[in-house]
Amino acid sequence: MEIIEKIKTNQSLDNLTEIQKICLDKLQSSPLPNPKSEQWRLSNKSKFSNFLNYSFNEKDPKFNTPFPNTSQNTIRLVIGDDCQINLIEKNYSIKQLSEDKLVKYLKEQISCFDQNENWSDLLNLSLNRKKNTLGLKINGSEIPPIEIFSHASSNSLNTKTLVIFLEKNCDIDLLQVNLGKYNSSLSQSTFICLEENSSLNHGVVSYGESKSNLLNSLNVIQQNNSEYNLGSLHFKFNFARFEIRIKQSEGNAKTNIKGMQITKKDEQISTYTKIDFHGPNGFLDQINKSLADDKSHAIFEGSIIVPKIAQKTDASQLSRNLLLSNLAQIDTKPQLEIIADDVKCKHGATISQLNEEELFYMRTRGITLREASKLQLSSYFQEIISFIPVSKDRWDLLDKLLNEN
Amino acid sequence: MVNENLVKDVVKEPYKYGFVTDIETEKIAKGLNEDIIRLISQKKEEPKFLLDFRLKAFKKWQKMKEPDWAGLGYKQIDYQDIIYYSAPKQKEKISSLDEVDPKLLETFDKLGIPLTEQKKLTNVAVDAVFDSVSIATTFREELAEHGVIFCSISEAVKNHSDLIEKYLGTVVPASDNYFAALNSAVFSDGSFVYIPKGVKCPMDLSSYFRINSGDSGQFERTLIIAEESSSVSYLEGCTAPMFDTNTLHAAVVELIALDDASIKYSTVQNWYAGDEEGIGGIFNFVTKRGKCLGKRSKISWSQVETGSAITWKYPSCLLLGEESIGEFYSVALTNNLQQADTGTKMIHIGPKTKSTIVSKGISAGNSINSYRGLVKIGTKATGSRNYSQCDSMLIGDQASANTFPYIKSQQPNSEIEHEASTCRISEDQLFYLQSRGIEFEEAVSMMVSGFCRDVFNQLPMEFAAEADKLLALKLEGSVG
Repeated sequence: MEIIEKIKTNQSLDNLTEIQKICLDKLQSSPLPNPKSEQWRLSNKSKFSNFLNYSFNEKDPKFNTPFPNTSQNTIRLVIGDDCQINLIEKNYSIKQLSEDKLVKYLKEQISCFDQNENWSDLLNLSLNRKKNTLGLKINGSEIPPIEIFSHASSNSLNTKTLVIFLEKNCDIDLLQVNLGKYNSSLSQSTFICLEENSSLNHGVVSYGESKSNLLNSLNVIQQNNSEYNLGSLHFKFNFARFEIRIKQSEGNAKTNIKGMQITKKDEQISTYTKIDFHGPNGFLDQINKSLADDKSHAIFEGSIIVPKIAQKTDASQLSRNLLLSNLAQIDTKPQLEIIADDVKCKHGATISQLNEEELFYMRTRGITLREASKLQLSSYFQEIISFIPVSKDRWDLLDKLLNEN
Repeated sequence: MVNENLVKDVVKEPYKYGFVTDIETEKIAKGLNEDIIRLISQKKEEPKFLLDFRLKAFKKWQKMKEPDWAGLGYKQIDYQDIIYYSAPKQKEKISSLDEVDPKLLETFDKLGIPLTEQKKLTNVAVDAVFDSVSIATTFREELAEHGVIFCSISEAVKNHSDLIEKYLGTVVPASDNYFAALNSAVFSDGSFVYIPKGVKCPMDLSSYFRINSGDSGQFERTLIIAEESSSVSYLEGCTAPMFDTNTLHAAVVELIALDDASIKYSTVQNWYAGDEEGIGGIFNFVTKRGKCLGKRSKISWSQVETGSAITWKYPSCLLLGEESIGEFYSVALTNNLQQADTGTKMIHIGPKTKSTIVSKGISAGNSINSYRGLVKIGTKATGSRNYSQCDSMLIGDQASANTFPYIKSQQPNSEIEHEASTCRISEDQLFYLQSRGIEFEEAVSMMVSGFCRDVFNQLPMEFAAEADKLLALKLEGSVG
């Protein structure tokens, strides 16, 4: 019940928003996720309790990004301090979502929440208030790329919520950056609705510092003929969970996911994905890569659900893992749950280390072992990084990852 | 074309093993408590260590909860409404097969299991288990000449108690899971096999399990020990009559392979699956596990699961010995309202261990067919390898096919590969076969048979033919 107490002590109950009250009600019945449930079974208990130990901080910390300054043709937004935007251009508009619509949408979402599966969202929404919530309605074409930042501050737990509506026929590149700070916890919940014929190239880069923690959840609803491309990268977190839930609500939609998590020292980073096909002709191509070194632990759990209605679904999921140390561990569990019979579904998983033959070949050509390993890793990383929009030219993610090694 | 003819023969047959043998049986009262366990032990004239083993297991079972993680939907089992011991009445000690009740022999003849040694058409030794007790074991003398012990576990308890005491419960301890604990407390009979050092078992060994009464559960226990450099192939078959009630079957199988030994364990499971509305059928909760203790030892499981209303079964391998090998080949077919949650666990502990998993699931009707497997590579299992392949075939849009592979690696110098796919009977292939004059159902059978080929190739000859027949039979009317 500590969580409930924490929420209650931080804010006077009279001031709670409607959403906060609903979530708090749900949390009352199960204040913490069931540690035996599939979604939480492998999460490190002490790291998770450490995440919750920080005191809740509503104030916005001073924003200091290790990433390059914004370029002219990019829109940069930082969630917090009542971040506002209202851009109406010739071809497009980016508007603030009205309070009513935001509450209505979140209420709809919460009504379908499962206590364990959506626990991270329940925590986020029960703590979060208006000033750390950003709701956007995007419309039009030739929209410049958008960067949205969420960041934590040391010695505290910060929560950020992002809601995005992509209206019909809209096409956009969006990069979301979650920044951890030394000794901090960040709870980020994102809700995205892709309307008919819209397309989103979404990048999620979560970059921590030592002893930073992250609960990052992403809920996407795809309507007819929409396309959602997600490239994600999580690294340098003591404890991080990335939960992806995508629902193709009417079928006829395309989803491409390329994700990667890198763990070092005694870090634990996990990715949970659930792709729900609620209509026919759905498409999914997913690849998740993990790299675990030192004493770290990388986890991937992905489920693909194809009910009877989702005929002609074409889904594939691949989990590729590199285990680089004797003390590190990797858990992976790709899952298929299928009822529709006219479908093409497959998944695969591999766990191995760097290819010795390739290393040997490069060394015979005079390349040092260190350089050869770097080369192999860079090709391993490159597939994912090149899929992250906005970032690839300016952000030097590859260098960051390789030099961390 | 042999298979096709077989398919034709059986396609119109109902569950032909559903008859009940009217035979006088000795049953004890329903329910489960310490007194019942003492009574079973007393009836079987067991030594004290075994009674203690049972009582300890019972105490553990009482504290345990029935597992629900597999998400199988079945009505709650009333463990006090089950008869834990039921045996056909027969003369005290049987010295030869002639003294076995002719009705019993007739039953096994109907099932196609020749118990009379004169009918030795195939070179297979059989141990037949009827309800709670073993009826007969054939070819004993011939096996004894090679030093092979093949008998019921009750006999082994009397005659080879040192081996039983040494190995029983070492692979599947009583506390392993709910059903293993229940079995350890009340197991009535089963088979015991001991292959001495350097012996290649001269014939396939087989046990045949038959549940006859509707209100008694079957709790058999099988223990196979293969000493250094020995090898054995063991086959297991199961049938039961058709009853409206659900019968519980909770078996435990333990295999132990020492240095360079090899055990091949094949099962064709055809317990009664219940009718089309899901009434009746066997609840099949089985714990099967093999321990590759020795260097270069090998344990291979192959199974064809077609029966039972509920199947909960994960034949596993603990790969302890250096360079030991574990294999699992499975075909699981579910139809109507059957539910199967089956798969394997490959636990790599020793260095350079290898495992292969090939699982084929076919779901038809309103059934649920899940593969659930664990591959774990421990910190010391350097240079280990695993390859898993799980394919599902869906017939109709009401059945469900799930795949839940758990993969865990703690050893960088090892490789794990897993792949899974789902398909249905391709209309192009069906059209092609039909255009060549092959009947629709026959074409489906051929395609199913082709889908399962990788696994059937691993089965002993006569089992492979039976498996083909079984699949065709089970799929009758579910396509089109």
